[in-house]
Amino acid sequence: MMCEPGTEPAGGADSAGDSAGDSGEKHSRELAEFSALLEDSAEDLYEHAPCGYLSTLLDGRIAKINSTLLGWLGHAREDLVGQRRFTDLLSVGGRLYHETHFAPLLRMQGELGGIALEMVAADGRRLPVLVTSTVKHGADGQPMLIRTTVFDASDRRSYERELLRARDEANRERDLARQLAATLQRSLLPPSLPSVPGMQVAAHYHHASPEQVGGDFYDLFALSQDRWAFFLGDVCGKGPTAAAVTSLTRYTLRSAAVYDPDPVAVLHNLNSVLRQEFTFEDPRFTTVIFGVLTPQEQGYTIELASGGHPPALLLRADGTVDYQHIRGGQLVGILPDAHFGAATVHLRPGDTLLLYTDGLTEARIGVANARYDEEALQEFATALAPTTAPALMDAVAALFAEFGAGLEDDAAALALSVPAPTNPPPA
Amino acid sequence: MTNLTVTATDRGTSQVLEVAGELDMATASQLREVLRDLTLRRGQQLIIDMAGLGFCDSSGMTALITGRNHAVAADASVALTGVPNHLRRALQVAGLDQIFPVHATPDEAVAAWDARSD
Repeated sequence: MMCEPGTEPAGGADSAGDSAGDSGEKHSRELAEFSALLEDSAEDLYEHAPCGYLSTLLDGRIAKINSTLLGWLGHAREDLVGQRRFTDLLSVGGRLYHETHFAPLLRMQGELGGIALEMVAADGRRLPVLVTSTVKHGADGQPMLIRTTVFDASDRRSYERELLRARDEANRERDLARQLAATLQRSLLPPSLPSVPGMQVAAHYHHASPEQVGGDFYDLFALSQDRWAFFLGDVCGKGPTAAAVTSLTRYTLRSAAVYDPDPVAVLHNLNSVLRQEFTFEDPRFTTVIFGVLTPQEQGYTIELASGGHPPALLLRADGTVDYQHIRGGQLVGILPDAHFGAATVHLRPGDTLLLYTDGLTEARIGVANARYDEEALQEFATALAPTTAPALMDAVAALFAEFGAGLEDDAAALALSVPAPTNPPPA
Repeated sequence: MTNLTVTATDRGTSQVLEVAGELDMATASQLREVLRDLTLRRGQQLIIDMAGLGFCDSSGMTALITGRNHAVAADASVALTGVPNHLRRALQVAGLDQIFPVHATPDEAVAAWDARSD
């Protein structure tokens, strides 16, 4: 932009006339020195360039090779020029690749770049290189020779090795994380449910992610000889923090129930404990249904309390299906004076009670943003009623499988049923 | 996959956050960031308008609770407006309808708040 003589305004050239003469002389002197330097270094540049140069005849024999490449390979010039072929300098694998890919492609395209090969030095050392070749044509358009540039790729090769090593390590770490998550998850769920006389129980858990521990949980345990307690819930969030809260929730529920099995009292106890975990910016809450089972002459009485959890579904022996709404319950762990609602359900022969987490009712069903919901679940249950806990859980597992990727969150389900009387005994 | 837009409007005695789209695990942090950066004045009302909200899971509810915490800490109030029917049910189940005053529209919430301030 500053020195384009052709575009200089005429007036400007006039006024600068005298000094231009002086600097012109100086300029041509510098140019002469500069070109001497260039001429001097043209051959030197070829010989000592920071890359290898090699010219081969069409039959592959080496016609010219620079000092840099000779130095890398530890060969004397006279041992190679006119004596050896380029492929003689390659590893066996490199030679094969050259024959099958490199040479044919070069013939076809006239040039080929960035091919990774391995050269073998005089002392047997292997040298990873990147090779670029062009075909030089004569005046008659016939190919004359092949010019090849060879770059030392040791750095790149070690970089690649480093990448591979890092990837292997990352894979190992991921496997370890998965293993840990699976182990932790198992510790948050009972390995098996205890048997309750005159009752069938079944549970199902869906993990949304193999790396992350989910926040859904359930349990069923004996309170005394003839009373049992169960719970099912969902800690908001995922990962290690949610897992810690889940663990705390389970232990608190179990120990609180032993201390005072009144379901509402149990949830108040849990609320106090979880409030300690609460942080202003990162409130953690749990939704949970807690129940106590007491056997009756026919079936069981279930005293239920809910803290912000979706309502349980009762599938009756007569085929009717209703949600057991528990009014007034709030999320557990966020409010100092939370309210928890209570209800009593009678589970008679042929009845099944289903508890679930919102992972089920919030599953995407593949139509735009539509989700599965409480109505859909009720229809699903109505088609099955009357049923038993194991049969219902099989159907729920099949439903989860049907959702596939639409089941984005973890989902847990627990079912309790009292078997229907078998056919009347023969008179 | 899911997206959420949060638009803030200062209406003097109230600040309105219009929350539209899907409020779930993937987007809840977005609302929480807006809430964290929001300066509520003492005696102001924070209105979270949910009219454009198609979905709200437990992560979304956590964000709503964070909003309430901010309001309480600033000596401000909080209200929900335009709660779609399907979310009204979820709020009831969680018992959040007991701690969040609910109005039909932001205008109604502003009017109710101003009437109370007088």
